[in-house]
Amino acid sequence: MSKSHSTRPAALLLASALLFGAAACGDDSDDTTSTGTSATPGESTAPAGAELELGDGVTEEPCPNAIDESHGCIYLGVLSDLTEGPFAQQGVAVQQGAVAFWRRVNEAGGIGGRFEVDIETYTRDNKYSPEEQVARYREMAPNILAVATSLGTPPTLAGLDLYHQDSMVVVPATFWSGWAFQGGFAPSGYSYCAESMNGLDWANDEFGPIDSVMAIHYPGDYGGDSAAGARVWAEANGVEFQDGDDLQTLPNASAGNQDAAVQALLRRNPDVVMLAVGPRETAEIVGRADAQGYEGRFIGSRPSWVGSLLEGEASQAIIDRFNPVSFIEPWGTDNAANAAMEEILGAGKVPSNDSFLFGWMWQYPVQALLDGAFEDGHLTREALTAALAEGIEVDYEGMMPDQVVGGDPASAVMRDALILQPDPANPLGSEVAEDFFIGDTAADFAFDAPCVEAG
Amino acid sequence: MTSSVLRHRALLTVGSVAAVALPFLSGATSTSLYTRILIGAVGAIGLNIVTGLTGQVSLGHSFFLAVGAYTAAVLGGTAGRTVIGHDLDMTIWLPAAFVAAAVVGAVVSPIAFRLRGLYLAILTLGMVFVGLHLFREWTSVTGGAGIGRPAAPAVLLGRPLAEDLAVGAVTATSPTQLYLLCLAVFALATLAFVNLRHSAFGRAMVAVRDRDVAAEAMGIASRRVKVVAFALAAGCAGVAGALSAAETGYIEPGSYDVLLSVEYLAIILIGGVGTAAGPLLGAVFVVGMPRIVEWAQPLLPFVAAGTRDDGILTRFELQTFLYGVLIVVFLIAQPDGVSGALTRARDSARTWPFSRLLDHN
Repeated sequence: MSKSHSTRPAALLLASALLFGAAACGDDSDDTTSTGTSATPGESTAPAGAELELGDGVTEEPCPNAIDESHGCIYLGVLSDLTEGPFAQQGVAVQQGAVAFWRRVNEAGGIGGRFEVDIETYTRDNKYSPEEQVARYREMAPNILAVATSLGTPPTLAGLDLYHQDSMVVVPATFWSGWAFQGGFAPSGYSYCAESMNGLDWANDEFGPIDSVMAIHYPGDYGGDSAAGARVWAEANGVEFQDGDDLQTLPNASAGNQDAAVQALLRRNPDVVMLAVGPRETAEIVGRADAQGYEGRFIGSRPSWVGSLLEGEASQAIIDRFNPVSFIEPWGTDNAANAAMEEILGAGKVPSNDSFLFGWMWQYPVQALLDGAFEDGHLTREALTAALAEGIEVDYEGMMPDQVVGGDPASAVMRDALILQPDPANPLGSEVAEDFFIGDTAADFAFDAPCVEAG
Repeated sequence: MTSSVLRHRALLTVGSVAAVALPFLSGATSTSLYTRILIGAVGAIGLNIVTGLTGQVSLGHSFFLAVGAYTAAVLGGTAGRTVIGHDLDMTIWLPAAFVAAAVVGAVVSPIAFRLRGLYLAILTLGMVFVGLHLFREWTSVTGGAGIGRPAAPAVLLGRPLAEDLAVGAVTATSPTQLYLLCLAVFALATLAFVNLRHSAFGRAMVAVRDRDVAAEAMGIASRRVKVVAFALAAGCAGVAGALSAAETGYIEPGSYDVLLSVEYLAIILIGGVGTAAGPLLGAVFVVGMPRIVEWAQPLLPFVAAGTRDDGILTRFELQTFLYGVLIVVFLIAQPDGVSGALTRARDSARTWPFSRLLDHN
């Protein structure tokens, strides 16, 4: 046995023991006594001149990488698709937008001039999997005040009972129409259901009249909600919508390709297709349908679009036939939010994709909740949940219409939408084709219940 | 009784006490990690039986994990709007998960009668795809693709393990109770594996692994051996699947894919194929990888914290990357895994300094 061979096992063993021992014996940040609250829940910690109750996820200790070491720290959790799932590209940009938002807040003094917000320590990859979501949520729950981003309707729904048990406010990075009815959720913007109605109303006016429509969508309440909106639009406008017009498909990671969806689309040849899938599937469906002679239009749910689609083979088909619906003004629009984002990123810098804007936008209600909770003297989950139940007015600094988040679902519903046109001339790939409007169908629809029930 | 036996028993005693005490000295997150390691080890023991002892390459382990998880979910879970459940106790659904998966394993084992190596591996891979399709479509059991369903909760003899348990001055939290249960299951599985390996049937398995034709010529019924190996492997996977589901609390059919099978293969390869300690050692690395990466990330300048752009990789991408790297490194540098490395280190320590003298020569 050579010298190097005899020492290699020992070296490997030592390295392995060091690695795992350090990991296992390292800072066990799940104990609230170690890195969570320095004041136990319910026990007041008096700041200068006022009592302040600190709950789980809030501490007088500074955040890691704090701007001001004299400030305490509020920990927010993030559960997002960051590597393997169909929305990883958007998930990473959403998180970057959220981080930028709170950097701006922290640089301006934080919450109440006393607490900075940390949204990175408890960021976990849910891989767009309900199972991962629940597992990662259980890990972070003892250490956070709220979940500032939870991306994916099915994954977010999987943890519903757990969030309620923990009185955890969750910001869903999804537009399912049922969030407002669940309690404890702080959704912003319209629903997929309203999105479909507005998208089809616009398409009807722009390219119409529409005689046939098809919905191609993921399973679950993302796709189901979108398809439900398409069905409502069809019924309201006297357009036939048969079972075959409602087609479920899976992400390419599961299905391999969109052969079945494309063939079904070509067979039915609808005037308009409402797409509620991921960007990869959008490119394949639009590109292949166009290549095989389909002459209709595609309206895309917001998550189905990302600017990098204009770099692929389907780019021309995307430009010619596809219009995503949205409720946020694109990058570069003249409003206070965009100006703030540009300032934080630095001169000339552009986000990786426009999901960055959504990540930024989703934090406005969280900031409003935290500011209100601080002013009331209770930085606790229960206080945030109670404030949300009352409803809070949120100012989005011009990037979208101001909205009431929480409270009565009927008054919190947003019906407005805008239509985007993929455009390679814009740094993030799209321009506004139609500015904010409310289509007739969405205007007349009650939205007094979820368009599709949970699960 | 020889000194080595005494030493071995002392080590075992100390190790057992440490294993039981571990969750009481750790927080909830760490305890959950240790629980997942134990569950991974239980599943890997099964793969070790069929692949390590009997030499049957199986890439279908995730299918059996799913059978166990969904058997438990149907028996122990609660009926929902779209899924079925019977709210039965863990004393029913856990053994049922073993039996159901073992039966399925025995039923599919004939594929190993005439095929070996790569061909057998491809066929077992086919089981995973069949399973994926089956579970996606069987929505009353699984909830459907991309949606999933709640798993069977850990309710043991009528008492939910989700509630803390106070025994005198000691309080066992919910994660601690689940950990101790999984520790007991792991200990049982390891004991069974060790006894099997040293039994006549275990020797027959090894004979089939080494040369099944010769084993047949010696009177060993290789088909029977393979059926039992697959059944035991599947049963262990079923138990691991059911426990894993209970630990997570939620399951989705897409999770039981090829990657999960590869993960279990990685556990036994890294830990040491065919060894008693291999499943646990391998599970420590494979299951503990995210925690190791989290610790290592600040030390690696090319890895960005969170999702920032200031690195070549993000922490999350590094986890995925390291996982593959580790498998390759072990296959090249340590073909007999961590267990083999430990054995050589122990032998080297025992014969030191003579081991060094021998190396020089």
